[in-house]
Amino acid sequence: MIEVNGLTRRFKQTLAVDDLTFVVPSGRITGFLGSNGAGKTTTMRLILGLDRPTAGQATVGGRPYRSLERPLTHVGALLDATAVQGGRRAEQHLRWLAASNGLSARRVGGLLDLVGLSDAAGKRIGGFSLGMKQRLGIAAALLGDPGTLLLDEPVNGLDPEGIRWTRQLLRSLAAEGRTVLVSSHLMSEMALTADHLIVIGRGRLLADAPIAELVRPGTSLEDVFMDLVSEGREEAPERDEGARERRGAVQDMRHSGVRGGHGQR
Amino acid sequence: MDTVNAEWIKLRTLRSTWWTMGIAVFVALVLTALGAGAVISRWDPGHAPDQAAMGIVVAVYVGVILAQLPLGMLGVMTISGEHASGMIDATHVATPARSRVLLAKAVVLAGAAVVASLLIAVPGYLYGRVVAAEFNPSALPGEAWPVIAGGTLMIVATTLLGLALGALLRNGAAAMAALMAIILLVPFVARMLPGGEWGNYLLPTYPALQLIGQVPAIMPGWVAFTVLGCWAVIPLGIAALAGRR
Ligand SMILES: Nc1ncnc2c1ncn2[C@@H]1O[C@H](COP(=O)(O)OP(=O)(O)OP(=O)(O)O)[C@@H](O)[C@H]1O
Ligand SMILES: [Mg+2]
Repeated sequence: MIEVNGLTRRFKQTLAVDDLTFVVPSGRITGFLGSNGAGKTTTMRLILGLDRPTAGQATVGGRPYRSLERPLTHVGALLDATAVQGGRRAEQHLRWLAASNGLSARRVGGLLDLVGLSDAAGKRIGGFSLGMKQRLGIAAALLGDPGTLLLDEPVNGLDPEGIRWTRQLLRSLAAEGRTVLVSSHLMSEMALTADHLIVIGRGRLLADAPIAELVRPGTSLEDVFMDLVSEGREEAPERDEGARERRGAVQDMRHSGVRGGHGQR
Repeated sequence: MDTVNAEWIKLRTLRSTWWTMGIAVFVALVLTALGAGAVISRWDPGHAPDQAAMGIVVAVYVGVILAQLPLGMLGVMTISGEHASGMIDATHVATPARSRVLLAKAVVLAGAAVVASLLIAVPGYLYGRVVAAEFNPSALPGEAWPVIAGGTLMIVATTLLGLALGALLRNGAAAMAALMAIILLVPFVARMLPGGEWGNYLLPTYPALQLIGQVPAIMPGWVAFTVLGCWAVIPLGIAALAGRR
């Protein structure tokens, strides 16, 4: 379980994360949705202790990330799959990660198999396509068999098979009782993958609801998302109290929405 | 221990490590051989066995000095390469205690520096003995040990200083420039300034050269060791503190 409480991060001018409070329970896939610059990556970095919050806190399984012993056995994270040194071979990259947390290097081969990189195990990462790096990143996240997964746009760069494969993997991980938080701005993908959605805009919480409740028949998640985001923008100055009601109102308005097609980008 | 192990895997799985080490050792060995040959050829026949052995050791550690900049560069790259690629995030996610990461890198790099110095010194020493055979050099006179310790400490200090600068500046080129300024530029500029002789005591270069017998002794040996040791440890400590934010 991930708990985020009053989390705030200010970068000089920008309030990247603004008093966010939410809980990501185990056993289901929680989608983390927001436009470009909404604060998804910043929130994940704060949860992982890569950045210090200006206010508030985030915990994983009740503890701040930085206090976890052998954190890879608790949390698997994929932030930026391209943030790897290209000179290493795939299998070497996973080996140093395993060693850092005292994990057996024996899992490495199996994981490369699992993500479909067994043929590329001995190749240098610098020559990998974006999709291959994403797969390597997913393997790295699974290295410690963690109970919690934090994935920042994991399907970015994956081919349709890869996207489907990732979706099925996330489903089975959630079904095993793990906590899965996965960010995206691909609405259609989220609609297919997630059980529950957390939507943020400009660092603020816009919605935190089961997908079935957000997306009523006849509307697409894209419509819902656009409504939420424009709503968030208009009512930017005030917050807290009214937030939940407003969200209800948005949902009601949305019944009339008959635009069909999923937003495919 | 796990962190040290991980950093060791990281270091040895990058080709740049082997290139840097290989070039550093090769260039230093060639120059040591040439230098030792030239020095020994000038010895007068009355050179005592102890004197001869000492001369060889000194010549060899002058060669080790030549490897300090490539090794310093290895220190810089070990951390700046992770900042440039963004992989530092993966490192910190795996090991949230940043000072532990820095310490592990320091342990592995210090080991690499010592090994590099031995790869230069041992063959250089054996070669020197062959060239100086007619003087019957003794094995290792007692006074050789401060030279060996000083030369080794110097290359370790430069390597760790590179690591510290890389961690503080996060930019490889900037850190490398700062390293060269501290090791090469500032000591020589300082000498020309009034009161600049203090630079000899505060910067790492003079104590290192004094310990390997290349400049007149202006400070006791233990002071020279202490100054060098400080340059190995204090910048790293500052980098560790700065990383706490
Ligand atoms: N290190 C930083 N320094 C300054 N501003 C930053 C920094 N990191 C993020 N920001 C700002 O914080 C805001 C949120 O950025 P963030 O990367 O979290 O968004 P995101 O939701 O992940 O966007 P995307 O969908 O494009 O990945 C942006 O306005 C961004 O410019
Ligand atoms: Mg992002």
